[in-house]
Amino acid sequence: MPVWQQVYAEINDPNFVLICVAEDTGGEAVAGPIFDAADPTYVQVIDTDHIISSAFNFVNVPSSAWIDEEGRIVRIDEGTYSKIHEFGEGDQTITFGNDVYTPALKDWIANGADSKHVQSAATVTANIRDYTPEQFKADAAFRLGNLFRSHGENDKADQYWEMARALNPDSVNFFRQNLTLTEEGSAGEQFMTFMGEYVAQGKDYYRPLDIE
Amino acid sequence: MAENMMAFPELRHPFEKTPIHPTGSTTVLYQGNNITLGETGEGDGLLIRPQDLPRVNGFELKPEGACYQDRCVPLNDTLMAEQNGAQWFNLTAFADLMGQPYVADLDARVWSFAELPAKRENMMLNAMAPDFKISDRQGNVIRMADLKGKKALIVTWSSW
Repeated sequence: MPVWQQVYAEINDPNFVLICVAEDTGGEAVAGPIFDAADPTYVQVIDTDHIISSAFNFVNVPSSAWIDEEGRIVRIDEGTYSKIHEFGEGDQTITFGNDVYTPALKDWIANGADSKHVQSAATVTANIRDYTPEQFKADAAFRLGNLFRSHGENDKADQYWEMARALNPDSVNFFRQNLTLTEEGSAGEQFMTFMGEYVAQGKDYYRPLDIE
Repeated sequence: MAENMMAFPELRHPFEKTPIHPTGSTTVLYQGNNITLGETGEGDGLLIRPQDLPRVNGFELKPEGACYQDRCVPLNDTLMAEQNGAQWFNLTAFADLMGQPYVADLDARVWSFAELPAKRENMMLNAMAPDFKISDRQGNVIRMADLKGKKALIVTWSSW
């Protein structure tokens, strides 16, 4: 999150709003310190019910929507990395992200509708995922599970989280949120297997980053 | 790697067992809101007092029907029920009519409603951002409508 604060400070435009949304059922206890470490001046939201992912039909984090002054979405659902990140050392180094997203964002803030990075409504609607009745219902089940979890009723919480998973198996968010409760955590063997199958089935968890 | 990628595993969901609502009440979940209803009607579906409808899903009853912004759904005998001389709005029949999925835990008296597909039409067809309402860490309520006149980047992330 510090990198987004840096980007926000560099843009420094009163007509630009940056809203960073933590999709975290663990709430303030887990997401709050990460926000605080960034000393942020942007809008910070801890979205325990994954309302924002649901509103824009996202299946993974980090994803995003660019919204213009009229409320029109001009880009959506791309892997939203503000720079190239590196974890680990030597042969174990993992890199992800890119160095083109932030310049594109800055170009849009500066040039608005004239930016070459603004997409047409047809392109944007093609990039918005369809949402089936089962996926809508999955959201309802997930939130029901969250309510039980927050009241200490973990058996019922598990029951409804599993229902959400079954109704929306493409949600990486639901899968990894569930994994936070396991010993191996959200990035262990189960996650790697899940993502391998996901990709092998030709599914995408972000839309292609169409920025040169 | 899992330990590096997932922050604060020891703090996850350390919630005490607490009542969801007062005994005999009913809870409705919708759009991140948690609404407690002290009184509901009898029957298989969820019958609510008509005056509770606005705080449940933003609709209100008018002569034209159940209305949200400029859209009204005409009422009929399925949507409105009379019991013991009182009028009730059948929220589950309304959801069925609108294609709005829901999940109920009848033992706990909790009904969780998904978004109304009609509220997403303008996004799916015209790329207009959907209505949402969410609170920031300071408790300020943010609605999509509040962002009009500014450019906005909404980014999701997670600690996991």
